[in-house]
Amino acid sequence: MKTILKWLRNPYFQFLLFGILLALVPILAKIGIFKVSYITTLGGAFIFAIAALGLNILLGYSGLISLGTSGFMGLAAYLSAYATIDLNLPFEVAIFLAILIPTLIGVLVGLVSLKIEGIYLAIATLAVSEVMRKTFEEFDFFTNGFSGKTANYPTLFGVFTLDRTTMYYFIVSVLVLVMILTYNMVNGRLGRALNAMRGSEAASQAMGVNLLNHRLIAFALATIYASIAGVLYVHFIKYSYPSIWSLKLSLDFLAMIIIGGLRSIYGTLLGAVIVFAVPDLFLKQLPYFNQLSYILNGILIILVIIFYPHGLIYAGHDIKRAFNKLRKGAK
Amino acid sequence: MQNNEVDMNGLVLKIEELSIAFGGLKAVDGLSFEIKENEVFGLIGPNGAGKTTAFNCITQFYKPNSGAIYFKDRKGQTQNLLEHNVHEIIKLGLVRTFQNVELIRELSIIDNVLIGAHTDFKATIFSQAFRSPKAVREEREMRAKAYEILETLGIEDRANLPVGGQPYGILKKVEFARSLISNPKLIILDEPAAGLNDVETIELASRIRKIRDELGCSILLVEHDMRLVMDVCDRICAISFGKFLAKGTPKEIKENKAVQVAYLGIEVDHDTKQ
Ligand SMILES: Nc1ncnc2c1ncn2[C@@H]1O[C@H](COP(=O)(O)OP(=O)(O)OP(=O)(O)O)[C@@H](O)[C@H]1O
Ligand SMILES: [Mg+2]
Repeated sequence: MKTILKWLRNPYFQFLLFGILLALVPILAKIGIFKVSYITTLGGAFIFAIAALGLNILLGYSGLISLGTSGFMGLAAYLSAYATIDLNLPFEVAIFLAILIPTLIGVLVGLVSLKIEGIYLAIATLAVSEVMRKTFEEFDFFTNGFSGKTANYPTLFGVFTLDRTTMYYFIVSVLVLVMILTYNMVNGRLGRALNAMRGSEAASQAMGVNLLNHRLIAFALATIYASIAGVLYVHFIKYSYPSIWSLKLSLDFLAMIIIGGLRSIYGTLLGAVIVFAVPDLFLKQLPYFNQLSYILNGILIILVIIFYPHGLIYAGHDIKRAFNKLRKGAK
Repeated sequence: MQNNEVDMNGLVLKIEELSIAFGGLKAVDGLSFEIKENEVFGLIGPNGAGKTTAFNCITQFYKPNSGAIYFKDRKGQTQNLLEHNVHEIIKLGLVRTFQNVELIRELSIIDNVLIGAHTDFKATIFSQAFRSPKAVREEREMRAKAYEILETLGIEDRANLPVGGQPYGILKKVEFARSLISNPKLIILDEPAAGLNDVETIELASRIRKIRDELGCSILLVEHDMRLVMDVCDRICAISFGKFLAKGTPKEIKENKAVQVAYLGIEVDHDTKQ
């Protein structure tokens, strides 16, 4: 019993367990407990969670804002589709290119962040993202313009061609890996340095944190995560339109980490599921929902900020406390 | 960079004709002093005298308009601090605290202390992300060292509590601990006793001396609490309106006419002021 408890408290074991739980979805769908469409919805939410984790490193830890997440994610999606379909490159090479190119641009934006901050940085990143979206519309040899670009389920190592279910497993594996790597980074030297940069520039500099380096690292990480998400998206949903990669999506990423929890890995996931999956799974039945989704997110953010300013993930503590109280009361 | 021309024999810090102005205000004006190895050195002066500004110039938060600042680094080499960036200073062996405590509220006390060891880590981001055995060991060793420092300050029981919400006396200790973990050669303390009660101040005085003896480092401190200054400092430099007033042992400073005038605010003719 004791050893089991010890295992359960190990964060790495928790991540693996979490991954296994997520991997149950297709099985539950097969035996008819879930609808098969849940696989697409949840897989999509997990993809968005990866990009949101990157934004959480940038905003939550480093205190740098970006409204450009969707542009970078979209760029990676198009690059990967172009590389695999038009250039016939292997999936692995496509991933590499689709991460490298957006990240280089992301680092350039990081350079800008040394000069401008706060709301101005938000506007600058938004501008970059909008320029990219415009590019997606106009450069149709590369993006196929408004008609959208299609892509296929990927073939790993040239042999394993994935389908929807195995692609879902692939997404869950990448998600768990990204969660573990994020956990390691934010709980070590890098996490402390980013926290210090956000909490006190003076102290971080006096303690030897090179602000330029760490801002670039934060932007690079956020872009890498967004790019990974973009690649997974285009090979899972199998198409990409310019209108997907709009300001609304970037704001949704912001909503995810604020609703779920700044600086919380599981919180980011919770936020992604609430913002992307809950509307699809439960609210779509309601009429006029598409028009209402903005309003719902807005109301949710306001409620969360009022009641759980650190994110909904902390509601768990309250539920536990209330539960313990009830149990004590019953005794 | 080596500067062999400067004679740093027995010294750890040497400041020559340091000046900086904000607009028309000469915050520090032609200030010179030097700190010996293993010395507790006090910089005193009334509010707005330019003490914090002098610290900011030494630690490269401000680039002075003129003057020179030499520092004998960990390896015993003379460094012209003006040639370094602000984030490179701690690596040379010079660390500071802040007049208004600068800690990271959301991090635990021990993590705040570990920020002071930032430049001592060797593992790359990559090996930390993948938890290479070396990175894991390094993190564990640093954490143990931070814990030890918290123990010597008597606050190890709070190691894992967040800094936000801790009482002021504790915050001051955490900042002190953060400066100790880098094994500095010179620690600059900006008003370490501000906001502390009498008991805490007495404790601080003995701690400053103990740190100096155990680490074999020098300490430069700014403090308004005259009892503390007179008690722990080997030598003191007094300034007023950015200008040098007097230098000497605590006794000499206490008896110095110009210092008394500056502190008591008696109007005197500038010619009679020595
Ligand atoms: N960044 C700055 N910009 C403009 N003026 C400044 C700046 N920093 C300091 N000053 C001015 O320089 C003078 C010296 O300030 P400083 O903070 O060094 O004084 P101090 O001796 O530390 O005082 P205290 O004992 O109150 O801390 C003050 O008049 C202050 O207003
Ligand atoms: Mg001051």
